[in-house]
Amino acid sequence: MTENEATVAAVDWEAYEREASAALAAANSPPELDGARVRYLGRKSELAQALRGVRDRESGMLLNGIRERLEAAVTEREQRLEDEELDHRLRDEFVDVTLPGEQLAVGHLHPITQVRRIVEDSFLGLGYEIWDDREVETVEYNFDKLAFAPTHSSRSPRDTFYFDETHLLRTETSPSQIHVLEKQAPPIYMVSIGRVYRRDAITATRYPIFHQFEGLAVDEGITLADLKGTLLHVMRALYGPERQVRFRTHFFPFTEPSIEPDVSCGICGGVGCRTCKYSGWLEMGGAGVVDPQVFQNVDVDPERWSGFAFGCGLERAAQLRHNIPDIRLLWDGDLRVLRQF
Amino acid sequence: MRVPLSWLREYVPIEMPIDELTEKLSIATAEVEGLERIGVPDADGNLERFRVGRVLEAEKHPNADRLQLCRVDIGEGEPRQIVCGAWNFGPGATVAVALPGAVLPGGLELERRKVRGELSDGMILAEDEVELGPDHAGIMVLAEGPEPGTPLAEVLPLVEDVLVLEPTGNRPDLLAVYGIAREVAALQAVPLGPWPGSDPGPVPNRQVEVEVADFEGCPRYIGRLFENVRIGPSPLWLKARLLAAGMRPIANVVDITNYVMLALGNPLHAFDFDTLGGGRIVVRRARNDEKLRTLDGVERRLEPDDLLIADAERAIALAGIMGGEETEIGESTAKVLLEAANFEPFTIFRTSERLRLRTEGSNRWEKGVDPYLAAPAAELATQLLRDLAGADWTAQADVHAGLPERPVVCFRPERADEVIGLETPEHDQYMLLGRLGFDRDGGNVVVPTWRARDISREIDVVEEVARFRLEDVPFTLPLRRAMFGSLTREQRLRRRVEEALVGLGFAETYTPSLVADDETAWKLPEPIAVELTALRTSLLPSLVEAARRNVDAGAGRIALFEIARVYFSNGELPNERLHLAAIAQGGFARAKGVVETVYEALKAEPRFERGEHHLLHPGKTARTSAGVLGELNPRVLPGEWGAVELDLELLFSESREPVAYEDVITYPAVRQDLAFVVPEEIEAGELVDAAREAAGPELREVEIFDVYRGEQVGEGKKSIAFSVAFQSPERTLSDEDAAALREKIADALAKRFGAILRSA
Repeated sequence: MTENEATVAAVDWEAYEREASAALAAANSPPELDGARVRYLGRKSELAQALRGVRDRESGMLLNGIRERLEAAVTEREQRLEDEELDHRLRDEFVDVTLPGEQLAVGHLHPITQVRRIVEDSFLGLGYEIWDDREVETVEYNFDKLAFAPTHSSRSPRDTFYFDETHLLRTETSPSQIHVLEKQAPPIYMVSIGRVYRRDAITATRYPIFHQFEGLAVDEGITLADLKGTLLHVMRALYGPERQVRFRTHFFPFTEPSIEPDVSCGICGGVGCRTCKYSGWLEMGGAGVVDPQVFQNVDVDPERWSGFAFGCGLERAAQLRHNIPDIRLLWDGDLRVLRQF
Repeated sequence: MRVPLSWLREYVPIEMPIDELTEKLSIATAEVEGLERIGVPDADGNLERFRVGRVLEAEKHPNADRLQLCRVDIGEGEPRQIVCGAWNFGPGATVAVALPGAVLPGGLELERRKVRGELSDGMILAEDEVELGPDHAGIMVLAEGPEPGTPLAEVLPLVEDVLVLEPTGNRPDLLAVYGIAREVAALQAVPLGPWPGSDPGPVPNRQVEVEVADFEGCPRYIGRLFENVRIGPSPLWLKARLLAAGMRPIANVVDITNYVMLALGNPLHAFDFDTLGGGRIVVRRARNDEKLRTLDGVERRLEPDDLLIADAERAIALAGIMGGEETEIGESTAKVLLEAANFEPFTIFRTSERLRLRTEGSNRWEKGVDPYLAAPAAELATQLLRDLAGADWTAQADVHAGLPERPVVCFRPERADEVIGLETPEHDQYMLLGRLGFDRDGGNVVVPTWRARDISREIDVVEEVARFRLEDVPFTLPLRRAMFGSLTREQRLRRRVEEALVGLGFAETYTPSLVADDETAWKLPEPIAVELTALRTSLLPSLVEAARRNVDAGAGRIALFEIARVYFSNGELPNERLHLAAIAQGGFARAKGVVETVYEALKAEPRFERGEHHLLHPGKTARTSAGVLGELNPRVLPGEWGAVELDLELLFSESREPVAYEDVITYPAVRQDLAFVVPEEIEAGELVDAAREAAGPELREVEIFDVYRGEQVGEGKKSIAFSVAFQSPERTLSDEDAAALREKIADALAKRFGAILRSA
């Protein structure tokens, strides 16, 4: 009988395993656990020593079984202790959630751009293309081809910025209608967005430079009712689904019939307040059925094709949508204003 | 146009609530700016405190030489004692009295009080105190008739509602009370009253001598001579109407010309006949260097395009715009030559524009007044001159070269339905057109003379129907065929740039495209302000100013961008380019980071070279093929600022959008760090370019991660460290392949720049 054989036999392995399991389970910290592991599973443990001396299959199975179970118990206990420690830490750690976060910068799209995109997206949804044209125009495109009478007051240098007798800053985006009609055969659905210029002094409500969006639809069988439906769609996209639209008669050289669209006031809901001058309605711009003369001016047959056109100011839309009281705030580049949007 | 409702009611009954009428007028006729109530406040029984009184006694105030002490019967049995400062009346006069407690138009409340020791139990009114006239020289002496105690409002228009309308430029017929009445009649489907005024008595046989030398400028001239004219104040009702309509009463003859203009829309003029040289009227263009002193006292230098009214010798009026001083009606005028003419719009427009002289008259003429209107205007004026100035009509003339026929226009009611998108029964359409003065003639309509300029085509008649149906037009959408909307590539990429900058913390801003004198040919000869003179050729100066304002306002982390046009001289019309500009606190590196990110967002690769720009730091300025970037010259704005200006079209042309997929997964990359020692003046970008050229597409990435200067590399030299990735889409690169590539790079850099590879 060798020493090893004696060792195997000399130990009550059932008791050893019970004792070891108990010690491992009782370990309450990683060092304690490590101590128990060394004692019962370490190189100098009775188990390790006995295993080194095992010669027969039966003892080997017995001792290896004990070792595997104890090792599993160590791993389990380790995991458990780590969990408990983390639980502990999570219980102790906390922050003042009301302190500011890391300073990451996000910028701001200008309200005019935000409104421009709403307009663009609504018209894209209706199947329109977006188009912009030149801002420096000729009298021919800004007035003549749009059928402005020679005495129309917009032609006056008191209302319009002229560079010389034939060149001016466009007073509306309408010349782009002419450019499109000259370049493209109907049907046409387009909306033109850009800067326009009028000789107004700078006040809270007027700025000599502003933005317009102007739509043009030319097709067979276009009606005034189609204009009304289209504007309702766009006004609701801009100002909310409850808004109503109405038409008032007006006069523009390049449309007949001409109308001015109003949108119901969002502040008072149409009852009347200071914003809408107690009418319940807000003016939105100008519109109408394309005058046959305009079609003739660009060689489009007015008997076959009909259309509508409309133009509205982006600044006004931005002011109404965001309740901005003074148009100059849109042009000052003041971060106290811009950072609100 | 201000329309007193009492005046309007003279021509048409108002059968609907006034709010409803104003709303309907707004929709179908002309914008209603408001309904103004003028005159005596009528709340809380205030009108009851204004009565007719009869003066029983009037004598000097015992304690004041300039005051009268009156006893006035106001129908109460016991007369009241009233102190009055006027002397234009005596016992027996019928006067207007306000009792204590009455509130006057200005808001003043009368009190019973002592004046110089005598009780004044009310006030005898002058016309200006109740806004019936401008006069305060004496009190109003009323016509006899009404009993003392009669409410004054039954005798005088103490309260007036005034409709304020803004007709569009194509509707000069609405610059007249009668024209508005016609619309009100059509809106309510009620008959319109007859034209006001008719010629009194027989038409005189004597002719006024009128010569029209220019029928183009003056298609019609009615001249009427009146004698025994008694100039004096107009009656209260007329003064009250003029005041309510916004004109100042002067004296009867001039007031009558204004009244007729407001009633019918045809401006009139009255000359003092005795001042006319040769007693004749000549309508002609001005001669070179001719001059005229107009009623406003200004001497006008005339040009041959100007249309004049002249006598046998000289100019006496600027036709349609303003009369001359020398022929003005005065207190002693006894003979009046009344002009009821018609002038061509463009002639009047051009002269009024050139002289910057706009009057009630020119405003109507330049919109085109109906030449037929001259006759009823002359008739109404004649009647009023006889009634109110005692004038005898003694001579007349009506000169024209034939008046235009009424336009006949083809009109199909079904066409109106097609254009409007709403059915209106044919009968209703013709009824409506009839109320507006159109006559049906088979498949045509005959246009009323007062709309002849505006309506010459079927579509114009369709509009007449449409404007009365606007509330009923349904909401539909076009039945589109084969039209699809989508953003163009440029529009899509512009949004991507905007998003990228917003992601970097930039706030978008808009600044004016007109700036103080820029180096451009596109300058306004007559700007509204110096700082809005020229079309800009660069956005950066505007952004620098915006940044400066924000600094002054105490803002932190300033970062602004703008996308807008700039305008370069380019022949007949400027070359308008869309630019992006950005400015931010932080120096050159910030600017460069912004440009790199924008390029990255667009899937483009920038190449930087040294550049220059007048606003930027000379040593810290770079350019790419799309524009310029750098650190602001501190002279421009104190502090460290990064600034960028790029041309978006050029930028977008470099975008690889849409990106083509590259296989970087199948065969792994070999990553290495390389450091080269080069002379100080060599720029890192040159090394990168040369490395790419030498190694070809298998050098997939090259990034600079360190620049080192120090003893180890020697004076005048620097070490630039690159991290590179070699990769092939076709095979796995071996260590030998990588070594060969590194060799190629090292050789090329050594040859071109004397670069020495430091690490192996």
